[in-house]
Amino acid sequence: MMALTCTLLASFTTPMRIDTNAASMLWLIPLVVAIAVVYKATKVHQIRAKAFAKETILLIGSIMVFIAVSALILHGIAWLVTEQLPAMAGGSAF
Amino acid sequence: MPQTWKDNHALFLIVIGLLAWVVPGGGHFVLNERRRAIVICVTVVLTFLVGLHVGSIGVIDPVNAKPWYVAQLMNSPAVFFLGQISASGQFPVFGRAGEIGQIYTSIAGLLNLLCIVNAVYTAHLEGLKGARA
Repeated sequence: MMALTCTLLASFTTPMRIDTNAASMLWLIPLVVAIAVVYKATKVHQIRAKAFAKETILLIGSIMVFIAVSALILHGIAWLVTEQLPAMAGGSAF
Repeated sequence: MPQTWKDNHALFLIVIGLLAWVVPGGGHFVLNERRRAIVICVTVVLTFLVGLHVGSIGVIDPVNAKPWYVAQLMNSPAVFFLGQISASGQFPVFGRAGEIGQIYTSIAGLLNLLCIVNAVYTAHLEGLKGARA
């Protein structure tokens, strides 16, 4: 029991290994879930499991869709600026 | 309304705010909003602990990351003591894990701030309702 407690506490003293790649963006999902749950907990009149879960899932979906659309638009702008505009100007951006 | 009611009401709101800060969901718990309190407590504490686990205790940095530290302090006064421990600089924090840990712990703090404000507002409305009755 003592060893388990020590191991558990020790896991909080060194950072996890997370690579800088597209998969690391998945860390966004638990955060969105936490934000949606707490926001809805402060907004709904009464917390009933089914209705609360439904509203929370709806909010999570809305946030994810908004983030995806924002990412697509930003990606499009970045593509225009780095690929298309320099080609039109007759040179590379880099 | 008599002045004493206003004084008591202000004191009540301060106590609710402090309780909500000391224990996430504590304010709602006192206001008999048990389910809401449990949902808030579990979510805020879990988000904070995930942040600490991912980035290490070093993500609470009162020296080099003051704006993040202010947001983290909103979780609970206990963060102040964690900050004192990590201020020694013996806990490594770096890279993507450090960023994610810092974001998780700070967002948990800001979510708790939202809950503190909500608990105080709910207490205020209940106080007004009680005074009118």
